[in-house]
Amino acid sequence: MPFKKLTLKLLRYLLIGVLVVLAGFPVYWMATTALSLNSELYGSGQVIWPQVQNLPELWRELGQVPIGLWLFNTLLIAAGGTVLSLTLGSLAGYALSRFRFHGRGLVGFLLFMTQVVPEALILVPLYAMFITFGLLNSLTGLVLANVGFSLPVACFVLKGAMDAVPYEIEESAIIDNCPRFGVLTMIILPLIMPSIAAAAVVAFFAGWNEFLFASTFLMDRENWPASVGLASFVGQYETPMSAVMGAALVFSIPAIVFFLLIQRKIVAGLTAGAVKG
Amino acid sequence: MPALTFNNVSKTFGDNTVIKAFNADIHDGEFLVLLGPSGCGKSTLLRMIAGLSDITSGDLLFDGDVANDWEPKQRGVAFVFQTYALYPHMTVRENIAFPLVMDAFRKWYHLPVVNIIARHRLMKRQDIAERTLKMARQLELEPLLDRRPASLSGGQRQRVALARALVRNPSLYLLDEPLSNLDAKLRTQMRSEISALHHKVGKTFVYVTHDQVEAMTMASRIIIMDKGVVQQVDTPDNVYDNPANTFVARFIGSPPMNLIPASLRADGLRLSGEIAVDHAAPLPGRREATFGIRPEKLELKAEGEGRLPARVAVVERLGAETVVGCRLVTARGHAEELLIEHDLVFVRVSGNPKMQIGETCSLDYRAEDVLWFDIDNGQRLS
Repeated sequence: MPFKKLTLKLLRYLLIGVLVVLAGFPVYWMATTALSLNSELYGSGQVIWPQVQNLPELWRELGQVPIGLWLFNTLLIAAGGTVLSLTLGSLAGYALSRFRFHGRGLVGFLLFMTQVVPEALILVPLYAMFITFGLLNSLTGLVLANVGFSLPVACFVLKGAMDAVPYEIEESAIIDNCPRFGVLTMIILPLIMPSIAAAAVVAFFAGWNEFLFASTFLMDRENWPASVGLASFVGQYETPMSAVMGAALVFSIPAIVFFLLIQRKIVAGLTAGAVKG
Repeated sequence: MPALTFNNVSKTFGDNTVIKAFNADIHDGEFLVLLGPSGCGKSTLLRMIAGLSDITSGDLLFDGDVANDWEPKQRGVAFVFQTYALYPHMTVRENIAFPLVMDAFRKWYHLPVVNIIARHRLMKRQDIAERTLKMARQLELEPLLDRRPASLSGGQRQRVALARALVRNPSLYLLDEPLSNLDAKLRTQMRSEISALHHKVGKTFVYVTHDQVEAMTMASRIIIMDKGVVQQVDTPDNVYDNPANTFVARFIGSPPMNLIPASLRADGLRLSGEIAVDHAAPLPGRREATFGIRPEKLELKAEGEGRLPARVAVVERLGAETVVGCRLVTARGHAEELLIEHDLVFVRVSGNPKMQIGETCSLDYRAEDVLWFDIDNGQRLS
């Protein structure tokens, strides 16, 4: 291999290595902090290497809180929001993409406006509505509140993808006796899988990371998602930093797994259309 | 099999009228070609037959029943799209079987997830599997059955699209420029295959194209359209030999019919205003008209031997024949500015006449080969 080519290759790997360290260091530091004793963190200073011998101590501290239940609640909120956003988003996206009707532009504008309004601004009116509908302190209510924000994003992403599907494919299915709903479920949706995956990631992480609505609308500790549970570690006089980091680590693992499962579809979506088909 | 009738069918998009009062009958079992330049409304017409586009006014009749508002399903047609419109996420087998699977679908099969299971089960049903395989064999697609459209060549995709259209055994086949994306060799091959298929199935085919060769070689009848208006409906031979107007005369034939303005003066007939010709057939009852003659009906002769003095401007040697483009020579010199549309008079001669560009020659013709057209509206004069 010529020297120049080898140097370039080494430089490339070096750059990738630096980026990997930059991206991975916070996770590593989180794990190291979780495996440190609070006395070290607030006293002698943190050891750079993970101290695996402190694992039982971390386990004992996490055992004092219902972290499994919180994770399950988070999963319900995230998965519920994702399923609902994708279902309604694909139907709305299809209608906006394919049908010409009065008020089509207005619908698009109103959907867009939901992204302009900050969540904190509608917190109080939403709280009043939740009291009226009896949705306070329920996970269903929280799913609905989250969907209000993730649905328009899903709708726009899916509409954009559906716009790119040639009309002829749809018309061909109609000629082949496929009804409209079948055209959407059997022809259009499989063709826009990468965009569905992208919309799923947005909706899932919006639900997974949700804190503001959850901390406002959910009172019972058993209903909390992990984000609110994590925040509850922070006390007025003491914050068990290792337990916080340990819980945060556990909290991030399912999200990472979800992303790894879905990332291939997203990459396929990003590269689709790059070459003439 | 349905006979189709168009009664004053029109189609408008906003202020733009694409089809104006279209009247035609399509007979059982015929191969009808809709021919015309791009944008003349032929694809819109096909989509209206399929029920994919609404009819603005007029009636479309299927076997005497007004079908304007019928759903595509009710019409029982098969459609081959210009872009093939294959389902990219399905294999060739699934693509071909899709219409059969849809025919067997019950309403609740359309539910998400249920449809995936139902489709897989129906694909394995004996009658569907057999018909799919039979059709694949007929179009030589059997080795490709488990491949997806993206891995097929243009010709193979086109055959899959045809197989999908044929597998349902509909009564009417609609084909929208299905060969336009193929290379010349494959197009010739597929032309013969589609013609053979028509003879075999004996159903009505409505075929849209802008390629006159496809129309002339495949059609039982041709409808020639321009700007949404029917110019002529006739058999290929009649369209070529007896064009209804100058548009048809120039659209059919390559090179097209030579059209030269002619006038009757006191001293006889003059072509291009200058060339006096000794013409046996006088202009039918008018002083001015357009003189039309097919290139193969003109004779290329040595200078002074023919009625029209000319100079060679283009020589296209095609092997078995040669197309010679000439400029008529008038007393003022070249008369190109007076010729209609094109400034050359084309002559088709067999073999290679060894003509050189710039060489003077003369052209001659038989009076019975001349067709006369109205100089203003271009309509054929009887």
